[in-house]
Amino acid sequence: MLGGLIEANVESRPEKQKDFESLAAKVGIFVTDIDEGVTLDFRSGSLVVHNGLEPKRDITIRAEAGTVMSLSNLKIGLFGMPVYYDEVGRGVALKLLQGKLRIDGLLGNFATLNTVTRIFSVA
Amino acid sequence: MAVDAFSDEWAIRFKDEVNKSSVYKAAAKGWKWTVGLVIEAEPDKNVPESLGVVMDLFDGEARDIHVGPASEAQGCQFVITAPYSRWKQVATKELDATKGMLQGKLKLKGDLPTIVRYTKASQELTECTTRVPVQWPDEK
Repeated sequence: MLGGLIEANVESRPEKQKDFESLAAKVGIFVTDIDEGVTLDFRSGSLVVHNGLEPKRDITIRAEAGTVMSLSNLKIGLFGMPVYYDEVGRGVALKLLQGKLRIDGLLGNFATLNTVTRIFSVA
Repeated sequence: MAVDAFSDEWAIRFKDEVNKSSVYKAAAKGWKWTVGLVIEAEPDKNVPESLGVVMDLFDGEARDIHVGPASEAQGCQFVITAPYSRWKQVATKELDATKGMLQGKLKLKGDLPTIVRYTKASQELTECTTRVPVQWPDEK
């Protein structure tokens, strides 16, 4: 479903195409309440989705299903930064503070995370 | 009083619950697409034929919800398909619909970004189903 979401997003929103074509990173998403994960292997304009967490990931996001959906609903604001001050953004920030949303590999990959968030965002 | 699951009476009660929900009204503002739920047959569970639930949802209101053939539901703009027992799990809160879709237990056809944007509305629709007391065909 996550791969399908990205595909539909990139196809229907031309502004996401540039981000998609520039992104080369392995992003893991582990949904903690169903104990399942995927690895999104972005290869500068193409995407390979692997079931499970593959080795050598740049970033790994660990959260419950509802929080993963909230990440997709983050609005993108000025300079392409995710908006953390509206209701959805505050909810995501709170999960981060509570440790219910974990992002491994964030150090050094902040720009990658923002790019992934922009590609993911449906808001 | 309990009504038969996926009967005409159930559809009326479900529609009433949706229209009573202020949470749904707010979360579904801007929604303008039809949604079909396909309940796949499970003859061993007393559901001999597939059924469809057709929902005409518009801007936070349920204009019509009725039960019909699966083919009618398949003609909607968004279609969610699962066997009867999965739907029962959703309606009895054993399975969260969002998790079900992520796991592929509920198959979704339609524009994914749109439905993800309305996650809260779809969760509230599920809540509305749980407020209608039902008699399940496999428990008769």
